Amino acid sequence: MKPLDPRLLGYARAARVFLAAGAVIGLAQTACIVGFAWFLSQVIVRAIHGQSLDELAPMIAALAGVVIARALLLWIAEVTSTRGAARVKSQLRSRVLTAVTELGPGWMAARNATSVATVTGPGLDALDTYFSRYLPQLILTAIATPVVVLVIFLQDWPSALGVVLTLPIIPVFMILIGWATQTVQKKQWRLLNSLSTSFLDVVGGLATLTLFGRAARQAERIRSVTEQYRVQTMKVLRVSFLSGFVLELVSSLAVAVVAVSVGLRLIDGSLGLSVGLFVLLLAPEAFLPLRQVGTQFHAAADGVAAADDVFEILDAASAGASATRSNAGADIAIVRMSDGPSAGALRLSGFAAGYDDRPVIGPIDAEFPAGSFTAITGPSGVGKSTLVAALLGFVAHTGAVTLDGHAIEAGATGLDWISWCGQRPGLFAGSVFENVALASRAPDRAMAARALAIAAADEIDLDRMLGVAGAGLSGGQAQRVSIARAVYRALERHSAVLVLDEPSSALDELSEARLVDGLRTLTESATITLIVVTHREALARAADSILSLEPAAMAA
Amino acid sequence: MRTTEILRLAQPRARRFAPGVLLGLLSALCAVGLLATSAYLITRAAEMPPILYLNMAIVGVRAFALGRAGFRYAERLASHDAAFRTLATLRVGIYERLVPIAPDGLAGTRRGDLLTRLTADVDELQNLPLRVVQPLVISGAVAATSVVTVWILLPQAGIALLVALVLAALVGTAANSLIAARSEQSIAPLRGAFADEVLDTVVNLDVLTAFDATDARLAAVERADARLTRAVLSSAAGTGVATGILSLLAGAASIAALLAGIPSLGTPGFDGPVLAIIALVPIAVFEVISSVPLALSALRQVRSSAQRIGSAVPDVVPPEIPVERAAVAHTAIDPSNAVIELRGVSASWPQESSPAIRGIDLTVSPGDRILVTGASGSGKTTLAHVLVRFLEFEGSYSLGGVDVRDLPLAEVRRTIGLSEQLPYLFDESIRQNLLFAKDDASDAQLIAVLDRVGLSEWVRQRGGLDARVGERGSLVSGGQAQRIALARALLADFPVLVLDEPTANVDPGRADALLRDLLSASADPAGRRAVVIISHLPVPADLITGRLRLG
Repeated sequence: MKPLDPRLLGYARAARVFLAAGAVIGLAQTACIVGFAWFLSQVIVRAIHGQSLDELAPMIAALAGVVIARALLLWIAEVTSTRGAARVKSQLRSRVLTAVTELGPGWMAARNATSVATVTGPGLDALDTYFSRYLPQLILTAIATPVVVLVIFLQDWPSALGVVLTLPIIPVFMILIGWATQTVQKKQWRLLNSLSTSFLDVVGGLATLTLFGRAARQAERIRSVTEQYRVQTMKVLRVSFLSGFVLELVSSLAVAVVAVSVGLRLIDGSLGLSVGLFVLLLAPEAFLPLRQVGTQFHAAADGVAAADDVFEILDAASAGASATRSNAGADIAIVRMSDGPSAGALRLSGFAAGYDDRPVIGPIDAEFPAGSFTAITGPSGVGKSTLVAALLGFVAHTGAVTLDGHAIEAGATGLDWISWCGQRPGLFAGSVFENVALASRAPDRAMAARALAIAAADEIDLDRMLGVAGAGLSGGQAQRVSIARAVYRALERHSAVLVLDEPSSALDELSEARLVDGLRTLTESATITLIVVTHREALARAADSILSLEPAAMAA
Repeated sequence: MRTTEILRLAQPRARRFAPGVLLGLLSALCAVGLLATSAYLITRAAEMPPILYLNMAIVGVRAFALGRAGFRYAERLASHDAAFRTLATLRVGIYERLVPIAPDGLAGTRRGDLLTRLTADVDELQNLPLRVVQPLVISGAVAATSVVTVWILLPQAGIALLVALVLAALVGTAANSLIAARSEQSIAPLRGAFADEVLDTVVNLDVLTAFDATDARLAAVERADARLTRAVLSSAAGTGVATGILSLLAGAASIAALLAGIPSLGTPGFDGPVLAIIALVPIAVFEVISSVPLALSALRQVRSSAQRIGSAVPDVVPPEIPVERAAVAHTAIDPSNAVIELRGVSASWPQESSPAIRGIDLTVSPGDRILVTGASGSGKTTLAHVLVRFLEFEGSYSLGGVDVRDLPLAEVRRTIGLSEQLPYLFDESIRQNLLFAKDDASDAQLIAVLDRVGLSEWVRQRGGLDARVGERGSLVSGGQAQRIALARALLADFPVLVLDEPTANVDPGRADALLRDLLSASADPAGRRAVVIISHLPVPADLITGRLRLG
């Protein structure tokens, strides 16, 4: 694990400010550590040598000053790190979200959307402890430890030697013990993993266990599995706790060694008490930051892992950007060409598409006459949704697409010629009206109501408020609202083509029949080429023609 | 379940808890002792006494150094071991509370993540002894010991240390609860709202792209982020205050000791080395009690976990959940006579005001195949849950001529099986996922039943019965999960089988075929088994003998 990924500084400018501020604060904190030890030892030594409280007043005031400064610095450090974390997170989030939208749905299709959302949302929160605990401690260690050792060296070199000789033991042992822990863990990783999830497994499957009359006898199993989990985990902990043990042992032994050696040299008079006490107070401070970095190790590992996930997306986006920049000029020409509604036949010739050079569909030739209603059918996996995704430009395709004889580069998104409704409803929090009129240039309630009627969803109130992901609607209702959204866009932008992917998969037969009626009225009242991907016989039967994709076409 | 009851379950008994605390206390006292003895050693040495007088101190310094690390290691092992041992009791204790009410009596059970969160919360409770009680006990004991020691050396200094520690405790607790209140009230909702915005954007990227709505959406996310960042920044000023004040009080305690000690120098029993001790002990004590704020925030997390568990597990079994009656007739239902009769049955879910189904009449005789249809929300799943007695009902429901209320719950569930909408697969092999339905089944029987549900080829490709299905069945598709669930139900050989929306989580292209396969596989050779299938998809008429439309 890298303690600090240089990409963090590259992608989040706020991180640089944070590091600079951290260095300044760390330096000031180090000064306080040395000052506190110095003034405290001076006051004690001078008092022992007979100075009165009045004579020592300036010295004690200075000590109080250092104490106040130390407290202030702790406060400032905390505030800076919280701010730093918040700023860096904001910057990274906004960059990564922009990157995700640039990479587009084609990239997302190969990934688990929820986990991408977790990475960009709550995942980045792991950076909180990374910034507020680990990094400041790391900076402080990098500054305080050498400075403190140097000060000890200037005062009493034998003590410094003792510290310098013991310090390296810590990282060496930490690494060795880290390896040993990993080995122990790896050996029983599978076992530990299944033991740790088995309680969840039993509780999660409680309904199933009850159905099969097995619930009651699981208590004993939970007990024995947890007991096994304890035995196995303790095996790992016995090794991994050694690292803490070494840290504490080395640092406290170093203090003991310094104390005894200073004590012995005081007895023979080769060292003054003021130096001895000063060095004794400083010696633990050389180890303290290092120990604290050790305890923040997990926070660091989580933070680095979270940042890694983000950098992966950002790197992918910058690689993709340089690859597509070459054909940016072509896009502009196409946007101009397909401006405004165009009503004509949609023709595909030699059309093939796939993901990552793996062909999924085609090459096929097909024609969809203007104003026709075509159902695309075929077994799962034959590439129906890929065909749609390629028309929308989510995945690359080869071959030609023409609309009314004009070539269309499917894939130039932002085009009005095609409107689409996918398999998932994909609704948002907000009113039904806001959902139906998504990205509308001039939201129109009458048109939204008409779209709902066409989608057989006229019983749903336009002003009804939906929760996140359209929560509050049943599956069938959500599907019809999303169809209405596509219909609205097709009406508003005079799209030549409307594509609906499995629009009736969540509908019962009655609703499906009403949807068919609605779509019929749409094709009758507007010149719109309707393409429906479906498995439902009733819907396919309602179409003018059926384009049946066979697995054979895939093999070609 | 009450929070205190849950917390009591999580706290190990004194006998088990004591070794860890004792070892931790020794380690902490060694830390204080190390600094005090070294300070004493050095200041005494400066008086150049014969080395003999210092031998004790030299031995003490080394012993404290070793003891601090050694005791700490032993403490961590002892306390983790105790916490893990308690975890077993805790898990079983909670589990036994869940069994009689599961699945429908758990509050919020219709939300998917309830059980995942519940188990995570139960495991979070381990932190109560480890990160809350133990550090607090040790800090308190070390603070008390140090105050007494310093007080014996110089009473005024002891009182000063006591005042500083009490102030630190008050400030620490107050600051902690203030910060917590603020973050709960203002930051948590904003954080939640922001996470929702992000999830909406990422999950619906295809929609946003196809509708040219990405820019507007990103702007909305940006606004939510800005609101959250503002709230975090405005509370940031407060977070450091407690740390700063603790450090200030630690310094003040040392200075107060100096102010009290310097004028007393030369009085009997109070010399230079003792001054050094009372000035340095506060440093070490405050280092030990710096674990208190962490313990308090851990306590907050533990308590909210306990509260979540408490709110999910009701104190009393809700009236909507059937309870086993003490004296029920131990009649066994004859499979050939397993006739279901529902007359005017209504049922509702706990904490919901209106019944989900009302006045249902249904008769299912051996060999029947009844299709239950209806829009979503019309109560199809509710009906299934009434049939297997997950939910209580009003009206009359008899099985084999016996009122089901007079039958043990287990007997009803031996007769009527349910294949759930989202079948639960255990993170085990396919064999284990089948065996628990019939633990004496041979491999040949398992293969035969997999063949009936159309999975034998797939299982062979995956490497046989030992192939794993992944966590929550993550390695199998929705359709395969349904087939495994049906295989399981067939092994258990229920006389009546209820299939709840088997195609709900299945790719639409495979749904029709799956439905047909499941229906034909669920028949037994003699044609005696009755099947109730709940589906929104059309089912070929030749595969069913009757229908019930809900809603």
